[in-house]
Amino acid sequence: ENNIGIAETDGEGIWKTAACWHNCGSRCLNKVLIKDGVVIRQKTDDTHKDSPDFPQQRGCLRGRSQRHQVFNADRLKYPMRRKNWKPGGGKKELRGKDQWVRLSWDEALDIVATETKRIIGKYGNESIMVTGGDANIRNAMSAIGGFSACYGSSSWGAWRWIWENMGIGEGLIVNGINDRIDLRNSQLIVLWGANPAWSTMGSVTYNYLQAKKAGARFITIDPIYTDSAHVFDADWIPVRPGTDDALAFGIMYTLLDEDDPAANPLVKWDFLDKYTIGFDEAHMPEGADPKDNLKDYILGTYDNQPKTPEWASEICGVEPTKIRELAREIGGTERVALLTAWAPARIANGEGWVQAFSALGMMTGQMGGSGKMTGVSCWEYAGNMGPFLLTAGGKGLPSITNPIDNLINENEMWDAVLNGKFLQRYEKERNVNIQFIYHNYENHLQTRSNIAKGIKAHHKVEFVVTNAYALTTNAKYSDIVLPVATQWETAGAVKGGNREILINWSKIIEPLYESKTDQEIAEALLKKLGKDPKEVFPITAEQQYFNQLAGSMVMKENGVDYEPLCTITAQDIKEWGVEGTPQKGRITLKEFVDTGIYQVPRKAGDNFGFIAYKDFIDDPEANPVSSESGKFEIYCKAINELSKTAYSEIAPIPKYEVKVHGYEATFEDWESRKKGKYPYQMINPHYLRRSHSTLDNVPQLREAWPNPVYISRKDADEKGIKDGDTVLLSNEYAKSLRPAAVVETIMPGVIGLPHGAWVDIDEKTGIDRGGADNLFVPHIPKGLGSSGFNTARVNFEKWKGEPLEEDVKWEQRIIKF
Amino acid sequence: MMAQMGFYINVAECVGCKTCTVACKDKNDLEVGRNFRRVYDFQEGSYPKPSIYHVSLSCNHCDEPGCMQGCPTGAMFKRPEDGVVLVDHNKCVGCRYCEWNCPYGAPQYSEELGKMTKCDTCIDLREKGEDPVCVSSCIMRAIEFGPIDELRAKYGTVNDMKGMPSASITKPNIVIHS
Repeated sequence: ENNIGIAETDGEGIWKTAACWHNCGSRCLNKVLIKDGVVIRQKTDDTHKDSPDFPQQRGCLRGRSQRHQVFNADRLKYPMRRKNWKPGGGKKELRGKDQWVRLSWDEALDIVATETKRIIGKYGNESIMVTGGDANIRNAMSAIGGFSACYGSSSWGAWRWIWENMGIGEGLIVNGINDRIDLRNSQLIVLWGANPAWSTMGSVTYNYLQAKKAGARFITIDPIYTDSAHVFDADWIPVRPGTDDALAFGIMYTLLDEDDPAANPLVKWDFLDKYTIGFDEAHMPEGADPKDNLKDYILGTYDNQPKTPEWASEICGVEPTKIRELAREIGGTERVALLTAWAPARIANGEGWVQAFSALGMMTGQMGGSGKMTGVSCWEYAGNMGPFLLTAGGKGLPSITNPIDNLINENEMWDAVLNGKFLQRYEKERNVNIQFIYHNYENHLQTRSNIAKGIKAHHKVEFVVTNAYALTTNAKYSDIVLPVATQWETAGAVKGGNREILINWSKIIEPLYESKTDQEIAEALLKKLGKDPKEVFPITAEQQYFNQLAGSMVMKENGVDYEPLCTITAQDIKEWGVEGTPQKGRITLKEFVDTGIYQVPRKAGDNFGFIAYKDFIDDPEANPVSSESGKFEIYCKAINELSKTAYSEIAPIPKYEVKVHGYEATFEDWESRKKGKYPYQMINPHYLRRSHSTLDNVPQLREAWPNPVYISRKDADEKGIKDGDTVLLSNEYAKSLRPAAVVETIMPGVIGLPHGAWVDIDEKTGIDRGGADNLFVPHIPKGLGSSGFNTARVNFEKWKGEPLEEDVKWEQRIIKF
Repeated sequence: MMAQMGFYINVAECVGCKTCTVACKDKNDLEVGRNFRRVYDFQEGSYPKPSIYHVSLSCNHCDEPGCMQGCPTGAMFKRPEDGVVLVDHNKCVGCRYCEWNCPYGAPQYSEELGKMTKCDTCIDLREKGEDPVCVSSCIMRAIEFGPIDELRAKYGTVNDMKGMPSASITKPNIVIHS
């Protein structure tokens, strides 16, 4: 395996495929040129000729900056502890501002093991909270008695827990839209809160562009006029954040109002009749109140509030005439792609939006046909769904069950630490005494709601440990920081991306400085805790990589069956020094590992096309969807039932609900429309400088994307703010400084603070300088536990103090001992 | 002389992601502050009918390069075989006159070398049959490189647009589609 890679044409170095492991919403090919053990250059996919049908998997500026992340000057080199740490915490309030003391691995692991044992002895395993999705520390903690875990809706928003009961896909686990070649058959593509140009790099925007070239017209519904809207030449309909449901109701009202089955068929009654329940009184499930149907709700039959475009306009800000036009377009076009990303659902009380959006697709019959689709289009599968043409094998590690079943919602995690209780969802309130936070892999203090409360929680507990390769927010507020190797320094892995590719990356360099891999840290910790690491990690990292390769499968030309991707010989197994069985596959193991990618070519008319829900549409009795009734549930009893033991009740049918910290909450008095203390709505768009919070510390990305706060020219004028001025953002939770980007491309009343900037609190003033979005997001779970990332409210003013220096000029977080 | 080479920039399909800038930085090992290729962002119109566009520019390997005209040592020169503008580091004294004379900001001063540096169209890669990295990195496939006559035949002769310096100054070898 040391011979992995392809020689550069002049013989000067070897190209290897390197990990580009971030949760950026894409997966692309990232290659590095290694010469004399040093990475001297990067490139992306050139493994085949590029074409719209068979596109190269080109990486973005973040992937191209990967070597500046791995070899960044701020890499953590050694284990370290906070200077004023003592067993039990010491001066806990100094977390985040204390100095650091270098430790040997032995000292560091001794401290972690001793404190772990002490805390378990005193408070029980429940008092340990492990954050982050990586299995290594979670498994180690499970093996020594367990921990309290956290869960959240993260990127999905309100789609996260309701799709299955409704019988639809949420865009990641279950496909809800057609494949990219079929997208070219759509006549109208509505991107509802979706900006692939910023949220899904790689080929997604290019794929959409092929639909435009095939004749599709685009509409974007979004608080921002995006770069996607620009390249698709879309009609932009600005909408207030968190009010998309109101707009959907206004559209649905128009469809009902103007529908004439003979002269102007806008509502697809046959579709509703055959495939859905709950639209009208005649299609209600048994036991439900017949009055509680969607049609009568829209018409206001019983609540005396017809959901007219005028009603909707008051809330969502779209002109009634525009709402009617939109309804006529969507209802009157034969093949429409109604595509939403998760962003509009990444709000508190967002389930009603998911229900309303889906109902609109059902009402217009835009599901289950060529060019017709209604669903989520985002993350790695944006604009291109269907069964995976390639799948990675498993690592072969045993799954270790966590003996503790505490599941703390991420909107309650800091409250749970501070107040000692939380709601065990679908059960009841529980007490918990968290005294030890172990941050493993992710950056929860940065990427979950209400950072200020999170910092308070970090000041309270007795012990905080983080595995990190730079001084992330998690690491900064810890007692012990263990330097972790990046995925350029680990054995290798196989990773899927869009459905047509499988990428495998190999080890590029040995762990830098004294860093260890996640698995090595977990193993060493287990040993210190008196456990045999082999119980949790019975096989080596190399064996895990090999297992993934050996188990990788590729779909056959018939579009149904799979075959192994790699041919593996007895010689291969011997050379790799692993256990395995020879197998016959499509390409040699060496070819897959050297190239680092396998991509299934696509063309129109091949056997890999996909139409979401087609089986169900063709024969609903034989192929029921996942709901209780087997039909699309516009009336969904199960969601309503679940919500009764969750955070707030969700109606069984889509209903407009006022969102906590939503538009209405920007008013002191809604009836008189008197604005409140925090009159602006804030959203946090994904931003190309980083992937969530990862890569925010890379200087050349800071140079390329300066991270301003986006303010509409109208709002800025009213406050006397010019482009580039430093602005103070504030709400009841926090204050933050950012340079203003004064633009015409954001809806007045809406502030766009890019997602994921590293919080940087000035200890003298308490004001953040980084522009950390989650400082402003409330910590309030609603519905089934969704986070309200895109429903926050703020005020802003011109900053009278020292203007902010450009981020790129800031000192890096380099630890000097 | 072989054909004069140039770039085609499809402004209409550029999302302004700056991958070209960063890929170029990687290829040429450019520190923060030095960018052989830059993306300029523009906004027009007003809410609710705004428009945005981005123009990716490196060196346009002009017919009448301002950098050459302003160079007191003759370090800036146009390579005869393909018209690529290069800087001879044996002659460059780092006076930065070229920087003043180029309307596109193409010459980039290297503090470390004390000399000017700039886009060389990835000559080394081209010799191996590859495209310049800005071309092969573009996720929208919005940049092309080739003989300027061929690019003009394919895409027309527009060589400037609103926000860009007038093409009359240096006669750039660039084709813009907006």
